[in-house]
Formats: sequence, structure tokens, C-alpha cells
Amino acid sequence: MLEAKPHGWGRRVLTVLFKELRDHTRDRRSLMLALIYPMLGPLLVAGGLFLAGKTLQGDFRERFVSVPVVGIERAPDLKAYLEDNNVRFTKAPQSRMAQEDAVREGRLPVVMIVPDNANGRDAFTIELITNTGRVDNLRVTSRLSWIVRGFNDHIADEKALAAGLPEGYATSVKIERVNVARDANIAVFFYNMMPPLVIFMIFLGGVHLAIDTTVGERERGSLEPLLLAPVERWVLLLAKALAALAFTAVTTVVNLAAFRIFMGLAASSSDRLVAPPGWDVFVLAFVVTVPLMAAAVALQMSVAVITRSMKEAQIYLGLLPLVPALPGMVMVFSPMNPTDATVAVPVLGQMLLINQLIAGQSLDPSHVLIASLTTSLSAGLIFLLAAKWFRREKMFVLG
Amino acid sequence: MIEIENLTKRFDQIQALSGLSLTARDGRVTGLIGPNGAGKTTAFRIVYGLLTPDQGCVRVDGVDVAQNRMLAQRQLGVLPDVRGLYSRLSAREHIRYFGQLHGADGAALEADIDELVERLGMTDFADRLAKGFSRGQELKVALGRALVHRPRNLILDEPTNGLDVMSSRAVRELIAEMKAEGHCILISSHIMSEVSLLCDDLVIVSEGRAVASGTPNALRAEVGTDDLEEVFVRVLACAPSRAGAMQC
Repeated sequence: MLEAKPHGWGRRVLTVLFKELRDHTRDRRSLMLALIYPMLGPLLVAGGLFLAGKTLQGDFRERFVSVPVVGIERAPDLKAYLEDNNVRFTKAPQSRMAQEDAVREGRLPVVMIVPDNANGRDAFTIELITNTGRVDNLRVTSRLSWIVRGFNDHIADEKALAAGLPEGYATSVKIERVNVARDANIAVFFYNMMPPLVIFMIFLGGVHLAIDTTVGERERGSLEPLLLAPVERWVLLLAKALAALAFTAVTTVVNLAAFRIFMGLAASSSDRLVAPPGWDVFVLAFVVTVPLMAAAVALQMSVAVITRSMKEAQIYLGLLPLVPALPGMVMVFSPMNPTDATVAVPVLGQMLLINQLIAGQSLDPSHVLIASLTTSLSAGLIFLLAAKWFRREKMFVLG
Repeated sequence: MIEIENLTKRFDQIQALSGLSLTARDGRVTGLIGPNGAGKTTAFRIVYGLLTPDQGCVRVDGVDVAQNRMLAQRQLGVLPDVRGLYSRLSAREHIRYFGQLHGADGAALEADIDELVERLGMTDFADRLAKGFSRGQELKVALGRALVHRPRNLILDEPTNGLDVMSSRAVRELIAEMKAEGHCILISSHIMSEVSLLCDDLVIVSEGRAVASGTPNALRAEVGTDDLEEVFVRVLACAPSRAGAMQC
């Protein structure tokens, strides 16, 4: 006869945890969410970085820039200056409508029109037909404008000297551009998109498991037999939450690794893009987000145990990742500096810490401690609430 | 032994139980029969600690379920009406999981699982995942899950519901064996022929309380007919409604 000597609650947690892990590693949906979905965001961001790198690479490496032009013969000095600065002229369409259409549709990057009244070194206005909605147009227009501005400075100096005035008389401030940026800004902009996407995945990684093991079990009728076993209800919920946490951790590892690998590949496609942060930064990012994973799972469990059906839970929990990810998207464009107060806000604290890591800054240990404590405390409180709701009779009774 | 004393339970506007009392003794099969909505499932759920009664108490082998739910659950093996299997676990894994939840493990548990697989005729599908199991196979797994900790008391809610003739007979034989081993067995069923074959004691429930009880023969004699189905119909027809009026 089987001696049913009860184990401690820790052993009961492990029993349920291992069952949930075994069950869900056999579930294609859970595995898809944990292993495939976290690669999609990094692929998109890295794809964007790759294309941006290629565009900029073209800008810097192309020795000559081709400019479709009308009437350049009326301004021989300008023509010579532009040619000295690697501008080559091509024939532009004759009609105004054809010129604008060609630029609008992206067939030509720009059209330069020298007016009929242009006459040598006399003042005149050239017209650049451009399309600011296209990156390649902006690139050529910007380069052309910069060279024309240099021509103006050059003519002004010549005229000043001819009149017996000092060089720089007509142009009091000149600009000399020294570009040392290696296109860092563009790459960093893409790297800054990582934190909100990582947080989005943290709130998505264990969601299927959180739903399936609570309201899903009730819907399928397997919760009632489970509750007939001599196990505390909080133990059951804790084990299920730990299983969801394990899936969330796997999702986050895959997500961070995919970001590092894909962004590294994209950055290596151009020698002008800065490389993404090193693996150590990504390991640290994982460590600082562990309390956030716990908070995400606690929230998922609490929502899942009060919803009446899997469908209802999926609607609410499908929207949940947007709430913490939105402030992160705002911070991509308007960064916020971490303070004791801001890092104490659960979720926001982790986002600020990841932002700092990605920006190559070192973390303040007290900030890490504050963020970890407040987020862990929130996770604990939310879990206690979920455990209280899990004891409700409505939770167990089907129908 | 399962003792139910004066249970009452209300869900919002519905009075599910109104002072239900009964005793299911060891070595006997006690049948709880009644029309749909009579309160049988609610009573069972209170017995195995899923619901808390508004009034009254339940004792399993002397353990008050409300006071010590987990200890009472260790004395109980339950086959709920909804079998609720995990589609991605095998039959053997189901039984092992519930054995572990009851505190068993190692070689002793594996030996007990093997014995149950053999006894319940699960050898052919013991290592298959539960997805796609027939109702008979589902029932066998649910029975294995309920019996793995060798409980002294069994609650079987509609044990042959939806089963074919052979599977129904196998379940009846199992119940008879368990009874012979001295277990206390409390079942609910709508199948009068099954009740007649299996039950030593009957409790007829209507509107959340017992309206008649006794051995099948005693009830037949009391109502004056040999047909147990007729006994059931007449008892229900003559039972006083909640308003207090007799209905026959």
C-alpha cells in the first residue's frame, strides 16, 4: 500500500511546476511565444539599421554626386566650383511638371534650376526641386546645398579682396564641418528602440502559460480534479506563476540574444555604424529585468484568475504589454535621466536602467537596488492579490 | 465513512442545498440520486472541500472537511463528472502527477501506477498522450488518478456516464471490488438499473435535501412497487416542495 506521507510545500511547488513545464514544452503555441516571437522585434530593428547603414554608406562612399540640372551654362563659375567638388551634371526634364513628377516619384533625387537671368558672378537664386519625404533626396539636396553655400563664401571673399576689404568681410561667420560621428547617431537611435521592445516581450513571454494554467484549466475542467489534491491553493498558483516566469525568462534570453546577434550583423554591414553594446551589457540587462519579469507574471496571473474565460483573458492580457512599453517608446525620442524617485517606479525603473546600459553608461548600484526592491515588492503584492482571488469559489466551479 | 450533516448552500438567487444530511458507511455503496439541479454535485463539492457550506458540516473518517481540508482530501478519491484530463500528458503521467501531489514518489509510486494500469485495463494506452482518448479511456485515467493514493473513501459522480456496455461493466466490477475491500463509496447516477445493481443504500435528493433514504428493498416496500425507477418518480412526486406543500 502506498504510504501517502505529505511532502513540504516546497516539494509540492516543484511537483506542479515540473508538470506545467513538461505540459507546456509539448505545446506548440507556448514554444512559439517563447522562442520565435522574441526574434521578430530584433529582426525588424536590425533590418531598419541595416537599411539605414546602407543608405548612409552610399552617401559617404560615393565620390561623385549626380545632379540633374537646367541652365547651368548660365553660371560658369558655379558650374566649375561644383565640378571641382565632385558634382556631375545630368540632363533634367524640360517641363516643370515633368521635373516635379520625377522628383516626387523618386526617379530623380533633385533637380537644380539656374534661372534665365543668371549672369556670371551676379547675384541670382537657384531653385532646388526636392522631396523631403525621401531619405535619398534629402541626402543629395543636403550635399548640394552645402557645396553651394561654400561657393557663396568663396565668391564673397573674392569680391571683398577685389574691393580692398579683408577676407570674410561679407560672410562674418563661416562654417567648417568636421564629421567625426561615424554615423553613431543613427545606430544609437535604433539601439534605443530595444528597451521598450524587450519590456514588451517580458509582458508577452509567459502570457499564454498564465492563461492556460488558470482560466484555461477551469474552462477545460481540469482545475477541479487538481483542487481535489491535498495542496494549498497559493502553492498551486505559485507553481503556475513560476512556470510562467520560466517561460518569460527564456523569452527574454532569446529576445536579448536576438537583439545582440541581429544588430551586430546589421552594424557589421557598414564600417561607419557603431557596434551594438557587448554581451556583458545584455547579460546585465537580463539580470536587472528579473524583478520586472516577476511583476509581469504576477499581473498576468491576477488578470487571468479573475477573468471568466480564456477569450476574455486573452483580450486583457494582449493589451497589457502596451502599457509599460508605451513610455519606453516615448523615451526613444525624449530620454529621461534616472533619479532615485524615477527608478523607484516599478517597470519605469527597469526601463531607465536598460536605457542606461544601452547608452553605454554605468549603472548606479543604488538605482539597481531601489528599482529591484520596488518592482519585486509590487510583484509580491500583486501575487498575494491573485492568490486571494484564486481562493474564490467562482474560480473553481465550472459553469 | 462520510458524514454529511444539515448542509445548506446558496448561490446568489439559487438555494442549492437546504439541510441535506446523510451517512455513507464503510464497505457499502451509497447512491445519491435525484433530478438535475437537486444539489448532488454541490453536495459532492462541499464533501471534497471545493465549496464551503453556509451551514452544516462534513466529516470524512471523522475529519471535519472545513477544519482540515487537506487531511480530509487525503482520505478521499474523487471521480468528478467532468474528467478534465491534460491533453499533453500521458495516462501514466496523469496518475504519477496526482500520486506525487498526495506525497508519493519513487519505486513505490511506480509500482502502484503499474498495478493501476493493469487493474484498470490501461496497458494499451498508458504511455499515449491523452489527446484523442475515448470517453472510456478518459474515465479509466480519471479513476487511476482518483485511486493512486489508495483512499478509504470514494466519491464517483456519474461513473458510467457516456460509457459503452463493456466499459460500464468494468466500472461496476471495480466498484464491487472496492466495496468488498471495505471502502466507503458514494456515487451519483441517473441510471436506475445501475443504482439497483450497485447500491446498498439510497438517498433520494430533491431541492437540496434528502426526501427519502434506505436500502433499495426498504424503499420498494415503502412505496409499494418493485420498480426502482417508479420508486424514484413517486418519491419525488410526493416530496414536499420548499413552500411546504406536498406535490402528489
